[in-house]
Amino acid sequence: MSERVRTVATASVIVAMAIILLTLVSTQPANLDRVDAIGARIKCPVCQGESIANSPSQMARDMMDLVEDRVAAGASDQAIIDELLSSYTGALLLDPPPSGNTLLLWLVPAAAVVIGITVILWWRAHPGSEASKPALPASRSRRRLLAGGLILVVAFAVIVVVASNSLQERPSTASGVADLEGQDLSEVSNETMEAVIAANADNPEVNGMRLALAERYFEEGDYRSAFPHYLVVAEDTNASPAQAITALVRLGWMAFDGNGEVATATRLVDEALAIDPESTVALYVRARVRWCGAGEADEAAAVFQRLLDDPDLASDTRSQIEADLALALEGAGCP
Amino acid sequence: MLSFLGSAGVAAALAGASLLVWRGVKAARGGTADLGGPSKLVLAGAIVAMGAMQVALLTDDFSLSYVANHHSSTTPFPFDVATAWAALEGSIVLWGLVLAVFTRIVAVRQTRDPDPLGAAALAVMGGVGIFFFGLMLTVANPFEVCVDALATGCAASSPWPWATVDLPVEGPGPNPLLQNHFLMAIHPPVLYIGYVGLTVPFAFAIGALALGSPGPEWLRRSHRSTLVAWSFLGLGILLGGWWAYEVLSWGGYWAWDPVENASLMPWLVATAFIHSGLVQQRRGMLQAWNFVLVISAFALTILGTFLTRSGTINSVHSFTQSAIGPALLGFLVLVLVGSFTLFSMRSQMAATSPRIETFVSREGTFLVNNLLLSVYALIVLIGTTYPLLLEAFTGDQVGVGEPFFNRLAVPLSYLLLLTIGFGAVTPWRGAASGLLWRRLRGPGVIALGAGIITALTVTRVGWVVLAVALGTWVAAAVVGLLVEQARTREAKTGRPFVTEMRTVIRNDQPFWAGQLSHIGVALVAVGIAFAANLPLHAEVDLQPGQSAQFAGFDLVYQSPFRRTEPNRIVEGARVDVYIDDRLQETLEPSVNFYGESAGIVTPAVMTRAEGDLYLTLRSIDSDSVSFALDTSPMVWLLWLGGITVAAGGFWSLAARRAVRSAAREREQAIV
Repeated sequence: MSERVRTVATASVIVAMAIILLTLVSTQPANLDRVDAIGARIKCPVCQGESIANSPSQMARDMMDLVEDRVAAGASDQAIIDELLSSYTGALLLDPPPSGNTLLLWLVPAAAVVIGITVILWWRAHPGSEASKPALPASRSRRRLLAGGLILVVAFAVIVVVASNSLQERPSTASGVADLEGQDLSEVSNETMEAVIAANADNPEVNGMRLALAERYFEEGDYRSAFPHYLVVAEDTNASPAQAITALVRLGWMAFDGNGEVATATRLVDEALAIDPESTVALYVRARVRWCGAGEADEAAAVFQRLLDDPDLASDTRSQIEADLALALEGAGCP
Repeated sequence: MLSFLGSAGVAAALAGASLLVWRGVKAARGGTADLGGPSKLVLAGAIVAMGAMQVALLTDDFSLSYVANHHSSTTPFPFDVATAWAALEGSIVLWGLVLAVFTRIVAVRQTRDPDPLGAAALAVMGGVGIFFFGLMLTVANPFEVCVDALATGCAASSPWPWATVDLPVEGPGPNPLLQNHFLMAIHPPVLYIGYVGLTVPFAFAIGALALGSPGPEWLRRSHRSTLVAWSFLGLGILLGGWWAYEVLSWGGYWAWDPVENASLMPWLVATAFIHSGLVQQRRGMLQAWNFVLVISAFALTILGTFLTRSGTINSVHSFTQSAIGPALLGFLVLVLVGSFTLFSMRSQMAATSPRIETFVSREGTFLVNNLLLSVYALIVLIGTTYPLLLEAFTGDQVGVGEPFFNRLAVPLSYLLLLTIGFGAVTPWRGAASGLLWRRLRGPGVIALGAGIITALTVTRVGWVVLAVALGTWVAAAVVGLLVEQARTREAKTGRPFVTEMRTVIRNDQPFWAGQLSHIGVALVAVGIAFAANLPLHAEVDLQPGQSAQFAGFDLVYQSPFRRTEPNRIVEGARVDVYIDDRLQETLEPSVNFYGESAGIVTPAVMTRAEGDLYLTLRSIDSDSVSFALDTSPMVWLLWLGGITVAAGGFWSLAARRAVRSAAREREQAIV
């Protein structure tokens, strides 16, 4: 076998193996679940530089519980992160985006690479007085070598990109919902989610995303857009109890907060309580509606008191309820 | 009494350091001056200071406020000894001692064979000594006496040894986290040898700049110290990670914490420096760049000390609460401004050194590696300091943490692995046509094969597969080169292959030592990839007698236990770990209580070939225990790899010594 044939054969084997490897790695996700991934991005307020996923402190544990709840309820990464950042002072995002006052953080390393390469090339092109002569004359084979090196670098870059994407991807199934569900919903626009939901309207699996989208509208104060989605989930017999409760309670709150319909609100929340009489959020919203809408301050105070007895209450919820309880006990008007 | 002795030691060391600067400058200018005497004085003073501190700790002398505030009569060995570096003032004493030892080593060589460069370097080391021993006499005085005792500890102290002592009866003991594991006793000294060792190449660089002799002499003279510093720094980082893993109970070993970053940055720059220093020694290139690197490495050790010891990390506002922060920051500015001013005055040197002919050469790959390592260090630097700078200048608060560093550093680490493979097999000056292809096609096939096998049998997670492939690539390139050279010799001499392999290694030990470090780096990368990407986690509540299944283990919770030890109370749970109904080990995850402070949750770890089982207590009461269960797959590869990296450094050091003493013997034989 001539040297040339051998070279071509070996090169083909390498390329073939690289392709096989690429097809093998591109699908499998890492073991890191979404709760931990989100937790790793939030700085624990009471620790020194630790994320809430790593910190053993009580506050970090409370925050992780909250993340777990929200993930289970189908909220988007961004919504969960926004909630954490707004309800815990001192909680910070550990990978700030390349914009605003953290733009430089990302620009400096990028600039360093560009400047570094420029300096090296410039340095090489401006030899000093004692520059030695080239050891080997440039030849076509050397150029080929350089080209080969370049190809390797490009191949490597592709591998890195594919591998880093595989960290985000989940195994895909036939339905388009699952395709989107695995993704970080925070990077999906409302319009895309609407489209996917419309396309999968009959698929019960879409409820998670529908709820996430509705929560997003709800948090933006866009009750009008949130309403139809909550309604579908509330009426869907395939929805999980947790999903149905969330939808009913949100509908109830919107009926009260948006339209002042105390009776409708109470009825909707009672439906939620029929599913789970112990649901914290339902009990809280009901008490709040009765207090603000019907002036039942004492009853509300009793409910708040009972909710506070639950030792597993997330600390932000606890402080909210404590504040409400104080107001209710004073007989003050609701906030 | 001990306060007198310690302060006297510090004063003597300070005097010795001052004398060293004065005489060093004189000798560097061509005069003659004895530098051995002052260096002995510095060393003696530093030993007396550390000795006084140790005696005070071992005899529970609470009249020293450092002892009263950081020691307790119940602190057991070796933590009583280690308390000397458990807090700021004591750690500066250790710093001073290590600096004194390095200074003395340089001075011994200098008295044997005096020259202006060595004298100038000693003057610089004396200057650094003045700063640190000066700290001990002023803002970080470890020998202050207590003048206002508390029930435990000391409320106010006086720097004057003759002040009237108000003797505390007992102290609170060192920070519980630090006395929870023996690793914390040895981690600081190891790390400090690394930090302080970098003073030597820095001093020689400044000496060379001041004398206007940019040739490779300063590199040659400081090379061994650089290797010592680099090896110990790496080992120190490893011990820190291991300690975090064994003590901090979150199952991790590295969190891109500012304290960790402070040690990583000088290591990265020193690694770049070792490579680019080789380029200058072999090819006379990169003179200016080597100065930049070594000044940066030294400045980063000071920056690291500033960040970790001034309290600035906890809060920008604590900066002014202690004078140590401004003192360290001022010294850092002095080092940077002074060094770079001197450097720019000699900038014509940068223009005169030769250039590389081609990037396809050892020096070309080293250039790429230097770019990557420098960018790496810069990423760590900006990520660590950005929140501080932003808050200091604008008041805005941002967090920069693990996700930021991982996003940038992980791809960079993979690129570094790729270049290691190229660098190892590429000859100096330039590779002949086809050589690289011949040397790398084999490793390429093996690496891809290893990746495919991993993907088919172990995991398809991209980062893990890539780490295995690139790790194999590095190892295969190194081993392939060794086999190639041994074969060539075998064909020439006819001696057996294994003998020739040994000869190849023996003939160029520093090179093969470096390759051993590279294999260590590959092991570290694979270990991290597994442990970071494939851990399992669960939480269970168990009552005595109940069992749980987790990751192939059967865990049976036997009973709670409570043990009183001299310095702590250990409360925990006994858990039997079974695999296939065979008892493997009884683990005791616990909460350790030191005095009044809150308990330290301490994990129990069972190590097996495929990784660790990591048990942590979440809560414990009489009838039920809540456990966190984690696995750390292949994490032992990380420890093994880290030790291998450092081992390469030590081997190179020993080999150089052997080469040098052989040369000296030959010389003497001829004379």
